[in-house]
Amino acid sequence: MKRMIALLLALIMMCGIAGAFAEDTVKIGIIVPFTGTMSLYGECMFKGATMAVDEINANGGLLGKQVELIKYDNQNDETESRNGFNWLIKQDVELIIGPLSSGTTKAIVDMANDEEVVLLTCTATNDALDEEDNFVFRCCYKDSFQGTIGAAFCYLNGYKKVGAIYCAADTYSKGLYDSFAAGCEKYGIEIVETASTASFDSMDVTNQFTAMIEKGAELVYTPYYYNTIGPLVVPQARSAGYTGVILGADGFDGVPDYVVPGADLDIYNNVYWNNHFDPNADSEIVRSFVSRYQALYNNETPNALSVLPYDAVYMFATAINNAGAADAESVREAMSDTSAVYELVTGTFTLNEDGSPNKGATMFEFYHDTENDRVDFRAISVINELPEVK
Amino acid sequence: MSRKTKGYLLNTAVIAVALLIFFFYRNSMMEANNKNFRLSVIPSVWQCCYLIILSASLNLVLGFMGQLSIAQCGFMAIGAYTSALLSLAFERAGFYTDKSGFNFTVVLILSFLNAGLLSALVGLVVGIPALRLKGDYLAIITLGFGMIIVNLINNLPFAGQNGLEQGSASSSLYENGLGFSSKQQVAWVFLAILITLFAVTIMFMFIRSKYGRAIRAIRDDEIAAEACGINVSHYKVLTFVYSAFFAGIAGALFSCCNGSLSTGTFTFANNSILNSTFLVVMVVLGGMGSLTGSIVAAVLMFLLNRFIKEGEWLSSAPQFVQTIFGYPMLVYSIILVIVIVFRPKGIFGHNEFSLINLPADLKRIFSKKKGKEAGV
Repeated sequence: MKRMIALLLALIMMCGIAGAFAEDTVKIGIIVPFTGTMSLYGECMFKGATMAVDEINANGGLLGKQVELIKYDNQNDETESRNGFNWLIKQDVELIIGPLSSGTTKAIVDMANDEEVVLLTCTATNDALDEEDNFVFRCCYKDSFQGTIGAAFCYLNGYKKVGAIYCAADTYSKGLYDSFAAGCEKYGIEIVETASTASFDSMDVTNQFTAMIEKGAELVYTPYYYNTIGPLVVPQARSAGYTGVILGADGFDGVPDYVVPGADLDIYNNVYWNNHFDPNADSEIVRSFVSRYQALYNNETPNALSVLPYDAVYMFATAINNAGAADAESVREAMSDTSAVYELVTGTFTLNEDGSPNKGATMFEFYHDTENDRVDFRAISVINELPEVK
Repeated sequence: MSRKTKGYLLNTAVIAVALLIFFFYRNSMMEANNKNFRLSVIPSVWQCCYLIILSASLNLVLGFMGQLSIAQCGFMAIGAYTSALLSLAFERAGFYTDKSGFNFTVVLILSFLNAGLLSALVGLVVGIPALRLKGDYLAIITLGFGMIIVNLINNLPFAGQNGLEQGSASSSLYENGLGFSSKQQVAWVFLAILITLFAVTIMFMFIRSKYGRAIRAIRDDEIAAEACGINVSHYKVLTFVYSAFFAGIAGALFSCCNGSLSTGTFTFANNSILNSTFLVVMVVLGGMGSLTGSIVAAVLMFLLNRFIKEGEWLSSAPQFVQTIFGYPMLVYSIILVIVIVFRPKGIFGHNEFSLINLPADLKRIFSKKKGKEAGV
């Protein structure tokens, strides 16, 4: 019993000691999942953000202060995101990056406006997030752009009959489908069949793809994440006999790590998706970023999920330098300035009135890399502006 | 005065005093505009409140009746969506504009009551066929029910994704409908506390009544209970419905304090500590057949989660501890294994914590420590 009490006291003391070291720093909070189904994305995001913060600190920090990154594991859950948000602002953090998904971001958007804390989301693409507020910004494009890009891809490549399978329960999937459908209407593309799955992360879509074949869809739009696309959607589609194009969005990033072991890798041909960033792009800023990232993290190729938080930290840095202060109100004003230009890895862009960036998307395809016997991806085109209907 | 009356009086007095202390504490904190209180204490109280109702109501079915049900989050989802949609509808109709006054109180009562009643109704529909089964089969049916409910809500045009998340009239529950913002949560914290007290009291009265004795008899030996003239299927369905009612109430509390609703929260296996499996863990941890045990376990689990997530102590702990605690789910399972190995009955076993018996209980526990006999 005495030993137990001693142990407890020691624990409490450790908490006290750890809390006692508080310096004058610029605190940036980051709410991402480190555990649970989305942890791969969360880890990548944290790596990117850490790299940016370390670089800034090595160059003397912001306004002469060091930057401190405080993380919270939200397990991709709404209540946890809220708890994390409360925990961060309790420690006087006024700049917050995250969360990962649109659904969890939705849970704290109103709080950010209420508590007057700047929330910069780098991956939540849902349209409704930054409509009627001032304190929420993002550094990725919206679903209305992303889904329309998918429709524009169909239009540019001459697909006339398409189908869509999505999850009505998920903010991300549903938002993308809605904008894809709107885009198809704009470009005169016929959606011959729509199917919804009940779950976003475990499902069987064989029947849905059989229906797609019957209706004669040349292309099927499937807005899901890597963890379903790699092991479930693509193999099931091909085993149902569907050979057409599978089109997706930024959630396809990371699929090569989720390929079923022993699967015929040719099935991943003819799968297209758009993303925020091309690690093989021919530009100085991207090349330098990729080489620094690889030097730091074991030769890993950075994906969009690690580069967007990296950019987000630099967006904060630019805003803080422009404002000359690091409090939420000044940063918000600096970021609301629609003429401020951000020269970052994912492109050079300005923010519009909503707080979303004006930037283009790169289209990618997967291919079977026969030399190394793995699935890889390559950029096929860049869509900077949506094509006009002729 | 009988001992029972004395016990009731003592409990009422202690709870009243505790509430009064909390009332003054809250008022002083509100005046001081204490950040820690608003951002940490109050959200914790709200979250603990719905976890307590949920685990206690599950204990009725799992602990007292001995039937494994993993549908509790499904009932909670019904309650959450019913109350949220109802209150939003009233707000859109212009029945109330701000969160005060007679009209809003009426809407609150209606939302909570309907949340409970609809859950109970669904519980009845599910319970009548399901409770003819036992053990694993009942678990499978309730598991399926939990999934069906989530899918139903997803595909309802006025609920699910279209209604609450992307609907035209209301995008979220923060400050809309019966949803409370952080500041309103401080003002309305007694709503959560009183509802929890009320729910737990009613559940206590239930298990102490003839119904409670009947379902415990069913748990101990169903055939013997039937031979004694207990209508087994009647009592089973009754308890199931009763438990579903309170799960619905907990759902309404959930939608009050959570700012947004998504069905992902209510799925069978999500990543947080709020899911049907985890509730079973809470009940087992607290002791199957002990309502106070469930309450303690719910609060403990909540605090443990916060402790893991927010602890600065982690960074100064040894590397292997950091690695383990980096995966909260791993810690919960280790704790569950430890409890099952060293105290299979759970923290409280079949016993209830009782103020009037406290001196006697303490005496017994300490005398046992001195080496008389093992077990409570």
